[in-house]
Amino acid sequence: MNGIHDVGGMHGMGPIVREDNEPVFHHDWERRVFALMISTFAGGQYSVDEVRHAIERMDPAHYLASSYYEHWLHAMETLLVEKGLLSQTELEAKRSQLAQEHS
Amino acid sequence: MAVLTPDMVPAAVATGGSARVNVEVTPRFKPGDRIVVRNINPAGHTRLPRYVRGKQGVIQHDHGVFVFPDTQAHGGGPKPQHVYSVRFAAHALWGSEVSSQDSVYIDLWDDYMDPA
Amino acid sequence: MSTPHQRHTAPPSEPERRVKALETLLIEKGLVDAQTLDLLIDTYENKIGPQNGAKVVARAWVDPEYKQRLLRDASAAIAELSFSGLQGEDMVVVENTPKVHNLVVCTLCSCYPWPTLGLPPVWYKSAPYRARAVIDPRGVLQEFGLELDNDVEIRVWDSNAELRYMVLPERPLGTEGMSEAQLAALVSRDAMIGVVKVQAP
Repeated sequence: MNGIHDVGGMHGMGPIVREDNEPVFHHDWERRVFALMISTFAGGQYSVDEVRHAIERMDPAHYLASSYYEHWLHAMETLLVEKGLLSQTELEAKRSQLAQEHS
Repeated sequence: MAVLTPDMVPAAVATGGSARVNVEVTPRFKPGDRIVVRNINPAGHTRLPRYVRGKQGVIQHDHGVFVFPDTQAHGGGPKPQHVYSVRFAAHALWGSEVSSQDSVYIDLWDDYMDPA
Repeated sequence: MSTPHQRHTAPPSEPERRVKALETLLIEKGLVDAQTLDLLIDTYENKIGPQNGAKVVARAWVDPEYKQRLLRDASAAIAELSFSGLQGEDMVVVENTPKVHNLVVCTLCSCYPWPTLGLPPVWYKSAPYRARAVIDPRGVLQEFGLELDNDVEIRVWDSNAELRYMVLPERPLGTEGMSEAQLAALVSRDAMIGVVKVQAP
């Protein structure tokens, strides 16, 4: 698709921002997202092509504003729901349940 | 579909999963061929970036036969075909203002190209 | 199965909440194994990294026949050093010379040779690098502090398919007589992406 991900040659994206001694993961949730993606991918839930296309289908503004591992999180939530392995209702219910347990 | 268990991790990491397909497919191109990239604009998944569409390049190398993402992403199967390294002169992509020395190399599937 | 109770002074961020819910559900449904997750994290955070690719480069610098094998069939040559695997199944190594400088990018996403370089840095996966590397490689290299003469040919490799690319940087002068291990210690991840050269000690 002619989506926002297809950035080769675009202008206006700004300077290349680098971090000295950048850690592999910036947050624990990124570690979990990484491992969940590899695990579900290796388990055969989806192909790499499906994962990429799920990311390509993100809202363009959200794609540009969000961090890399948020793209992976979006892809997993999208594909697992589309494939009927989870439902949106279950995800939202679990988020509410965990929020209540936490407070 | 399986669950990846801890004992499976070392092999999964060390082996991965190549996208090569072990079938004989007649290549449409060979190194040295001049090609023009098809102006396709699929609404679904493709690995053909817009910046090379319609541009002329030269086949450098045949990588062999691989899964075709444009079909694989949508349940259309692997449609295995040759993937080539293709060289595009920078000024063919971006115009005469850029360096005449530089080039972009990109990997293109048979279905992305026609003879120039 | 209870999860450890963590005390936060601030509430968890939105990604944290989403990830926690996703992970909990996937474990409950038996689609992922909790120990597997920890093992994958340890593997890619602590075990696999650019020190692998540096060994490949150092070997190519000291052994001309290995270098030829590496340039002819990178997957097989890298396998000799046991650095094969996920997101590095089909490798291509491109050689920098005084007249040719190679730069690797994935304009469409973040494709990168994990077994030799580890996981990619944020800048490699971000829009500014991905957008500009193909159209203004000289400008990108200047941002990294590298100025090349006008007569040097720059080749930008867009990793849009499943081939994964790694640069074999030039061996700097002043390294004659160094051991392979000493040479490997000079080779940075950024030099194997192609945004910098390897510096002499």
